[in-house]
Amino acid sequence: MAVGNKTMADRMPPERITDRKRGQILWTAVLILLPILCAAASLCIGRIGISPADVLRSIRGHLTGGEAVSLMIESTLWRIRFPRILLALLTGAGLSAAGCAFQSLFANPLATPDTLGVASGSSFGAALGLLLGLRLIGVQIMALAFGGIAVLLTVLCGGGRNKRGLSGVVLAGIMMGSLFNALISFVKYMADTETQLPSITYWLMGTLGSAGYRELALGAPPILLGIALLLLLRWRLNLLPLSEDEIRSAGVNAGLLRGCVIVCATLVTASSVSMCGQVGWVGLLIPHICRMKFGSDHRKLLPASVCLGAAFLTVVDTAARSISPADLPISILTAMVGAPFFIFLMRRTEGWQL
Amino acid sequence: MAAVKLTVENASFGYRPETSVIRELNLTVESGTLAAVLGPNGAGKTTLLRCLMGFLKWKDGRTLLDGVDIRQIPERKLRSRISYVPQAKGGALSLPAEDMILLGRTGKMGFFASPGEDDRKRVRRIAEDMGIERLLQKKCTEMSGGELQMVLIARALAAEPELLILDEPESNLDFRNQLIVLETLTRLSRGGMAVIFNTHYPDHALTRAVKSLLLFRGGENVFGDTAEVVTEDNISRAFGVEAVIREFETPGSMIRSILPLRLTREGDGARKAEAEVVAVVSVIFGDYEKAGAINALFHEYRNDVLGRMGMPCGTSHVINVILRGSLGRITALTDRLNRLEGVRAKATAAPEEGDDQW
Repeated sequence: MAVGNKTMADRMPPERITDRKRGQILWTAVLILLPILCAAASLCIGRIGISPADVLRSIRGHLTGGEAVSLMIESTLWRIRFPRILLALLTGAGLSAAGCAFQSLFANPLATPDTLGVASGSSFGAALGLLLGLRLIGVQIMALAFGGIAVLLTVLCGGGRNKRGLSGVVLAGIMMGSLFNALISFVKYMADTETQLPSITYWLMGTLGSAGYRELALGAPPILLGIALLLLLRWRLNLLPLSEDEIRSAGVNAGLLRGCVIVCATLVTASSVSMCGQVGWVGLLIPHICRMKFGSDHRKLLPASVCLGAAFLTVVDTAARSISPADLPISILTAMVGAPFFIFLMRRTEGWQL
Repeated sequence: MAAVKLTVENASFGYRPETSVIRELNLTVESGTLAAVLGPNGAGKTTLLRCLMGFLKWKDGRTLLDGVDIRQIPERKLRSRISYVPQAKGGALSLPAEDMILLGRTGKMGFFASPGEDDRKRVRRIAEDMGIERLLQKKCTEMSGGELQMVLIARALAAEPELLILDEPESNLDFRNQLIVLETLTRLSRGGMAVIFNTHYPDHALTRAVKSLLLFRGGENVFGDTAEVVTEDNISRAFGVEAVIREFETPGSMIRSILPLRLTREGDGARKAEAEVVAVVSVIFGDYEKAGAINALFHEYRNDVLGRMGMPCGTSHVINVILRGSLGRITALTDRLNRLEGVRAKATAAPEEGDDQW
């Protein structure tokens, strides 16, 4: 190969493009397989170790109606671990997608799914539900409802015609967040210190342990709907950080697009908080890791965030339930894993940009 | 390309009811026209563009596109005809130029759609037309100001508009990049597009724009042929500087250029324009037939004329007229003479005390 030969250099781009295509296919495969493999591994790992062979036999048994492996393994796998893994996959995928969308919407790399106060609202709803002694399903409905109320109040307070644009909404979100956090403290203060307070505190720290199929039946559809809509809107998410004039000039209804994104992210976040409390860091960490690798084009970034988020939370939750006999609150682990890793990545790639 | 005509009728705008940023504006820009919007900082140039496109609502008056009020045109249809290039400030996305330009086609897609191969091909063609295909894979955050500006123009063109509106496209660019941008705008207007751009440089209006709009602080404005709008008098009134317009002979063409000389004090411009001066207006022309028109003009100013002499010089004819009148009137007369075809005119005022300019 003649170095410095211009005609050779001219012929380079097509080769590079096929290289890039091959790389793309490889990464697509990795990203799709990653959550599946993590989920499969997670089925085997836990306080009770189950061999992959037993897991496979049990799956085959369920599919073909064959014999069960053993009652204990069956019950551990399908009553405890499987719904929990489903929840981890959904929540991880959803929070990553919501975080990714919000960072684009507010043109701010520090935006999280909680920027509009939805998690605080949902948490208050759940805490209130626990205080009132509702059953789990009631707590979940309360959390969903108050998440929606918090975002609605935020948008009503901060939105409308003003020159600040979206920063008014963000400020209102911060205010709404602290208002609901104060209300949570009030609920804790009112709660019975022997029975209610520990359950509220534990719930607020976030755990995926309370998940069952019934909770999933209520909580999963909003998350799936939110993720699906965001994925469909993935090209338009690229427009969101631009100014309102630019979005309008492109022939896109800025208000409608922003509204769609807020509704989707709220569905996802409120629903995941309603099932497993506040899970921090996922919505910030995962989109940025993906941005560093896949760039800012949401056509790649959003699907990558969804896949990586699902895998990440599955791994973290598996660790949370395996490390100690009592579930470790998941937020403790996501922060302990996430913060240092994030700083490491940030320093290596010289900061980040949207 | 279909012909397009943008008209603004008796339009006024103010952010608050009691104040006006723009008052009673009238303008018409058609296909193939390059129009410049001039005005000092804070005179409302960007506001004007936003009103023009319907991003802000006129307090009075309206914008018409081919005779139809733009408020009656469906948003998507309107945006596909008018494209907007905002000021290229920081905070750009770290998308590669190709994706950035593709964003301009979003309005042509379904709500849940992503750009396809056809969109990509169009983007490539636009980039080739503008000579920026080498930038396609470069991230916008890593671009120079000139490169980013070209990408933003390409993004606006991706929507295939009939009218292009640009907010200070050549601000903060070096000479070369300014010329690249101006050349692009000239080429687009020659191709049949209507182009309106805000600028801080009266020179760019003088050399490029067919029509100009000059905004004054307080909402007054003048619109018309650039030669009639961008005059020493108007510029001094709008910007508060004393300015001279001169012609440069360059290889191949004459270029009118404007040079700011010094600040005028409050009301200075008006006083200066009203000041009585003695001046000689020299006219030189080749075709003797023009003498009629020239004399008719001088006749209009007969009360100012002190004396005159004329003589043929080979194939040319020279007329020197001495006048005493207001500087504004004499400048206007000279401008009108200059606009006659094949006629060159120049005014020289008698030196005043403390005046070293003449």
